[in-house]
Amino acid sequence: MSEVLKVKDLCKTYIINKRQNNVLRNVNFSVSQGEMLGVMGPSGSGKSTLLYSVSGMDSFTAGEVEFQGRSIAKMSKRELAALRLDGMGFIFQQMYMLKNLSILDNVILPACQSRKRRESRKEVVSRGEALMRKLGIIEIGDNDINEVSGGQLQRACICRSMMNHPDIIFADEPTGALNRASSEEVMEELAKLNGEGTTIMLVTHDVKVAAKCTRILYMDDGNIAGEKVMGKYTTQKELRERERAVSGWLMELGW
Amino acid sequence: MYFQILERDLKRKKTMNVILLIFILLAVTFIASSVNNMVSVVTTLDSYLEKANIPEYCFSTMDGREMKRFERFARERDYDYRCLEMLQINPQDIKIDGRAFAYSNSAYISSLKNSTKVFDEEEQNITRVGRGEIYVAAELFYSDQFHMKKGSRIKISLDGKTREFTLKGCMKDAMFGSSMIGMTRMLVSEEDFAYFRKDASAMMYFVGVYEDAKDFKGEFGKLMLNTLFGFDGDEIQFMYLMDMLTAAIILIVSVCLILISMVMLHFMIRFSIAEEFREIGVMKAIGISNFRIRGLYITKYFAISMAGMVIGFLVSIPFGNLMLDGASRNMIMARVGVWLNLLCAIVAAMGVVWFCYLCTGKVKSLSPVDAIRKGENGERFSKKGFFRLGRGRLRPVFFLAINDIFSGAGRFFSMLLIFTLGILLIIIPVNSINTLRSDGLLSWFNMAPCDHVLDKETIFTSVGNSKERLENDLEEIRGVLRDDGIRAKVFREVMYRMSISYQDKTMSSLAFIGVGDVEADAYAYLEGTAPQRADEVAITKVVSEKIGAKIGDDVEIKNGERTKTYRVTAINQSMNNMGEGIRFYQEEALDFSYAAGCFGTQIQYQDGPDAGEKDRRKEFLKQRFQDYKTYTAGEYINQMIGDAAGQMDGMRQMIVLVVLVINILVTVLMVKSFITKEKGEIGMLKAIGFGNGSLVIWQSLRIGIVLLMATVLAVLLSTPLSQVSVAYVFQMMGAYHIEFEIKPLEVYVLYPLLVLVVTTATGMLASLQIRKISPSETSNIE
Repeated sequence: MSEVLKVKDLCKTYIINKRQNNVLRNVNFSVSQGEMLGVMGPSGSGKSTLLYSVSGMDSFTAGEVEFQGRSIAKMSKRELAALRLDGMGFIFQQMYMLKNLSILDNVILPACQSRKRRESRKEVVSRGEALMRKLGIIEIGDNDINEVSGGQLQRACICRSMMNHPDIIFADEPTGALNRASSEEVMEELAKLNGEGTTIMLVTHDVKVAAKCTRILYMDDGNIAGEKVMGKYTTQKELRERERAVSGWLMELGW
Repeated sequence: MYFQILERDLKRKKTMNVILLIFILLAVTFIASSVNNMVSVVTTLDSYLEKANIPEYCFSTMDGREMKRFERFARERDYDYRCLEMLQINPQDIKIDGRAFAYSNSAYISSLKNSTKVFDEEEQNITRVGRGEIYVAAELFYSDQFHMKKGSRIKISLDGKTREFTLKGCMKDAMFGSSMIGMTRMLVSEEDFAYFRKDASAMMYFVGVYEDAKDFKGEFGKLMLNTLFGFDGDEIQFMYLMDMLTAAIILIVSVCLILISMVMLHFMIRFSIAEEFREIGVMKAIGISNFRIRGLYITKYFAISMAGMVIGFLVSIPFGNLMLDGASRNMIMARVGVWLNLLCAIVAAMGVVWFCYLCTGKVKSLSPVDAIRKGENGERFSKKGFFRLGRGRLRPVFFLAINDIFSGAGRFFSMLLIFTLGILLIIIPVNSINTLRSDGLLSWFNMAPCDHVLDKETIFTSVGNSKERLENDLEEIRGVLRDDGIRAKVFREVMYRMSISYQDKTMSSLAFIGVGDVEADAYAYLEGTAPQRADEVAITKVVSEKIGAKIGDDVEIKNGERTKTYRVTAINQSMNNMGEGIRFYQEEALDFSYAAGCFGTQIQYQDGPDAGEKDRRKEFLKQRFQDYKTYTAGEYINQMIGDAAGQMDGMRQMIVLVVLVINILVTVLMVKSFITKEKGEIGMLKAIGFGNGSLVIWQSLRIGIVLLMATVLAVLLSTPLSQVSVAYVFQMMGAYHIEFEIKPLEVYVLYPLLVLVVTTATGMLASLQIRKISPSETSNIE
């Protein structure tokens, strides 16, 4: 399987009050096409920083990040923006959307901004609606963002991240602000997308979420302290077994 | 604690606070200096005119017989009056250090005998003028046009006599020193004056009456004396209106600045409170009272207001003096102390603090719940925008800009208001200046439309005036034009002063008759039809109101020795002598020996030349008639009214500059505020792939769109607002129906485009800070 993302000796250092703080220390890993990679670790271990660095949202101090074979460090800000628009999708812990726009408008916003596809606005709208229908939120398209539940909003965010057919979706604790039921719904949708071939890299604290991933990286103090390859699951029973296995693995790593 | 919070806030919102300080400082400076100047000029006028012993009523006549009649009349009633003799000098007969004296109004010489008081540069009363010495008015002395200095040699010729004088200095001449009076006086010794007076062909008797003006005017009207002009003390004061123009405009700008400062403060306070909902909610949750929370904001604005007050007060003193510089050359200024500046500064600063207190009222409505529910009260969340991205074809950044404005109208309203005020501040003066320079202004002065005016001072004497003489002059000009293949009507307005009576009311008024290729139909009338017969007249609205005559009434008009009855067929308007005017039918046989003067020779082309051809013909006229001054119609009128347009034009640059500075400051402040508030949204948009360029365009477009809306609003408001402001000033001078000269390209395109480019460019520059916002700032979204 081809590599979507390749990270080599990635370092990220902050200087706070003249003190050097190494958040990422020589991190090496890669993400293959169709993979669902989970990143876990204790608070402050560098999970989110890793996600933002490899997605080009934040700079890094040293190392190499290749996306589809292209070094993102060598890209200009304009190229990075174009990459984020057409090659990547983002889902955040909070359901960030523009409050002056309806849900549907928020969903189709990246597609309207993209110049990659020559689609009419009507086609864009129908694609947006199709995605929302697929994720079961078609009825909230004309609603205000304050008028829907967190789970619905997060699914709308997933739709938005999918609008430009990204090569990879980055998700930073996508279920972190949701209740259990909503969390399961959202993860179900992400798993389905992954099953359909979308590559996903997500950061999570939740074992249930991590159990749905094909591979898990465990971060500790800026380093990858462990890796667990699990492959795809097929049944709910298998998923429960994976949850237990992941819990045991995490305990071994000192979680 | 207050000071700690204040110190932290001042550091954190440095730019915003500095801009606010600039606004308060500007407002205080302008208001303190302009109020001081207005009070100074108004007080000065009263004291200066009193000091100069200006009469209660004055009139002039060039007819010696009429003067004798007045002397008898005054003796019988024991009136206190003084008669100043003046000799009119053709400006062409005056040389300054050998150079021509290119003065466009009437020039006179007189001695000190029976004169109102005049003062030298040191504000000392001039009581004696030595033989061979001469004083000139400040208007001439300081003019760049004439290059006069003490010791300059001034040669004057009159009726074949010539004498050379040494310029002793400039004088402050209250009687003849206003911009609008349209004449100037030079002061010579009694011996020198007597030299010219002997056998002089033209003498003007200027009579100042020191009796109650109202009683005197009633009696004087019955005398039906043929005079050149007549006005009372109030009208003399009014003639200084143009000298107050600068101070008045600055005051209007100051009021606008105060309004803008208020709008800015309102925006900033509301914005800060909305931004700090969490802190306010928490403070309330732990039991801090509303008053103390509001105190936190007031402390900051109080500190900024105090700084603005002190600096503004200090700056207002030299700034005010600078503005009064021109007026102080012409008048003895009754300077009001700096205490007035201080008072204005304190009142302005206190007003700002009080306004701030009112604006912080929003604090009362915020509750601890707001801290939890992101500034919303939990019952009603703010509504999304009106528009749908999916339903249109607009690019997202254009859509977002438009949608933001209409969704968050409140925060953009302040900007709209300020931009509208600014554009109005430009449009109204520019329209006024263009109107004052337009050819259409002729109709306001009882003149027929024309293309060019040839002007040469025509000295009218009590003997020798005849229609033939004027007709011959016109024919000479007509002939020259004909030789060059130019078909044109050539005509001239002859002016009289006549007594007009209706029932028991009598007044003295200017009267006009066209000589040459002009008919009464050619003039503009407000109501009725032009006089069609020799016994018909049109009168101005002012005359109509004063004597009570209306269309269809018969009035009695005295021309020289003859009194005749005329039917009023029309009402017109005129800005001559505060709205006075009678228009005769062109064939009416008036006695020209009583004519008081005439306007320049008007030329109206019959072949419809375009602007370029008119310019060529103006040059041709200049070449062919070197004894004359050549004007366009608008230029001619403008010089008649003391170059009011020129004075306002000087202010135009300053106003445009002030408006641009205001827009720049407002834009920087607003864009910075918006970016602070929208940091999270910007981060998110960056995260989903919006580039810096798109986001800068989004921010700048909002400014540009609001400015476009402001331009449309200002254009719509400019006409009604001009009618209640500038038109009112014209109405005081006798022009009731004003049609403003609007140059669409200049007013609706050029200036708005300049403002748009500068403001939007500022918006773009201020938006560049977006580049520093990282996509990871998404977590700041609220």
